[in-house]
Amino acid sequence: MDILHNIAVGFGVALTPMNLLFCFVGSLVGTLVGVLPGLGPVGAVAFLLSLTFKMEPASAIIMLAGIYYGAMYGGSTTSILVNIPGETASVVTCLDGYKMARQGRAGAALGISAFGSFIAGTFGVVGLMFLAPLLGRAALSFGPAEYFALTLAGLTLVSYLSQGSMVKAMIMAVLGLLAGTVGMDPISGEERFTYSTLTLRDGLGLVPVAMGLFGVAEILENLVDVGTQSVYQTKIQGLLPNRKDWQDSAWPIARGSVLGFFLGILPGPGPVIASFVSYAMEKRFSRYPEKFGTGVIEGVAGPEAANNSATAGSFIPLLSLGIPTSAMMALFMGALMIHGIQPGPLFIAKYPELFWGFIASMYVGNVMLLVLNLPLIGIWVRLLKTPYVILFPLILLFCLIGVYSLNANVAEIIIMLVFGVLGFFLRRVGFEGAPFILAMVLGPIMETSLRQSLLISRGSFMIFLNRPICAVLIGLTVAFLIWPLIGRGQKGARLEA
Amino acid sequence: MKRANLAAAIGLLLLAGFIFFESRKLSFGTFRVPHTGFYPKILTGLLLLLTLSCLVQTLRDKTIERPTVQIPAEGWFRIGATLATLIGFALVLEWLGFLLSTFVLMILLLRAIEAPKWSKVIVVALVTAALSYGLFGWLLGVPLPTGVLGI
Repeated sequence: MDILHNIAVGFGVALTPMNLLFCFVGSLVGTLVGVLPGLGPVGAVAFLLSLTFKMEPASAIIMLAGIYYGAMYGGSTTSILVNIPGETASVVTCLDGYKMARQGRAGAALGISAFGSFIAGTFGVVGLMFLAPLLGRAALSFGPAEYFALTLAGLTLVSYLSQGSMVKAMIMAVLGLLAGTVGMDPISGEERFTYSTLTLRDGLGLVPVAMGLFGVAEILENLVDVGTQSVYQTKIQGLLPNRKDWQDSAWPIARGSVLGFFLGILPGPGPVIASFVSYAMEKRFSRYPEKFGTGVIEGVAGPEAANNSATAGSFIPLLSLGIPTSAMMALFMGALMIHGIQPGPLFIAKYPELFWGFIASMYVGNVMLLVLNLPLIGIWVRLLKTPYVILFPLILLFCLIGVYSLNANVAEIIIMLVFGVLGFFLRRVGFEGAPFILAMVLGPIMETSLRQSLLISRGSFMIFLNRPICAVLIGLTVAFLIWPLIGRGQKGARLEA
Repeated sequence: MKRANLAAAIGLLLLAGFIFFESRKLSFGTFRVPHTGFYPKILTGLLLLLTLSCLVQTLRDKTIERPTVQIPAEGWFRIGATLATLIGFALVLEWLGFLLSTFVLMILLLRAIEAPKWSKVIVVALVTAALSYGLFGWLLGVPLPTGVLGI
């Protein structure tokens, strides 16, 4: 009954006219970001973060969440119609979605993608609603040692799951942790690496750094080769999937929803991994795996469901443990902390209206997205034809205003540009931005918990092995570190044989 | 790719060296009572180790070098022109004011990729400057600089 009462409270918050408006704005901007190439959801959230200062915390988080799951919905449109994923989690949708469009079944692909996303998104919200409070209660017994082990395991797993070299991902994570040390020492208050500048005294800003690494760097990359993309010219009809489509898609959607939710909880790019794993799983379960990649609806339904369910799952570690597990969650943590709200085990107990309002808004947002994505598909297709020559100056202008509006400080624009250039070059040699931004946010938590643990244990590192949760997490960290070495050793032995 | 990796590894080694030098004044303390420099110095050591490992991996890499996706001359020009425009915007924003500097920024950016008609460029730049001022300055209450002209 408690849950019913809480949900009623949540809907009371989510259905106020102002929050409905922000939910709509978030879903709309998210769909736009998903549809248009050039600015990913992380860049968009970073940009809008600065505009949430004056909002109520609930409105801010509702709008930013709308962008996140809206981008997951919108990303599939470009994958299906242009064969260009609007964001990384929709890469897999290109394989069968675009082929379906070429066979004249763009409507069915877009329809099942929207319905699958809606069903999975709703499943993910229900899971979040039940699991986050449970995990939050369990985390109340966590001390500094557990927090240190948790952040260490999280960062190692993110590096392990990175697309390229693990060493490069770890270098980016360490650089991010070092960037997190700029400013005041969280324990003694002494200044570090500030060069007596006011801008750096509060530390490197999350927004300029994120917008540089994810917004400016992305645009510089697109400027290398400004190709012309062509939208597949087809009449989009029959958006409501037929009976056969539903029969073929029901199980992929169900499996994608469950799989995506649990993969979303793990550190790393949950929605991206979820969509790839779901595709592989559907291919294995299929009676005709050889047809995957030629335009089968299961190849669209499963991954689209998985990436949407994962977005809800990824909120669990942040809201219940206070640990962001991806660059996007790091920005959400920043958004809450701007309003003086610390996510963690006490979050749900201290801010029940905010938590349940946010949950209820996700139900509302999923319905809004269904309405936005199906009847308005024609508008999104027309928007896709916006020339990049018009689009990129607008995105850059929004980045500039977004960063300047934080503190009316030109130095932060320069910081954004520096990180944009760094991000551009580092990305070209295989260094990803996600471990950096995640580590930068986790850095102060990690440092404080490490130093507090050592103070408690009088300098003994055994504190991390004597406590059961810690020992398990440290064990996992070691496993993630040595697993690639074992894999490489076995591969070498096979080659020699 | 190998040369780019080498350059990145050497750049990171230099960066690690620089951070190590900069953190020399921060006290390490002891494991029992860690001070301000404890955490950054450990991280710098870790960065040095990882970068050296990356360097060794690159040097030992015997796979045939794949050609890196080269940036064409026009690509370099577009990137350079865009960055120069953005830095210029940052430098003149408070002096020229938001409206004027946004108008100039848009004109330069719109012509950085290709050269659309001047009339189209001016209309888009004007509309963007006015709309963004209305949206951010009036509607969202962002304090935008007015500059020497007071607009």
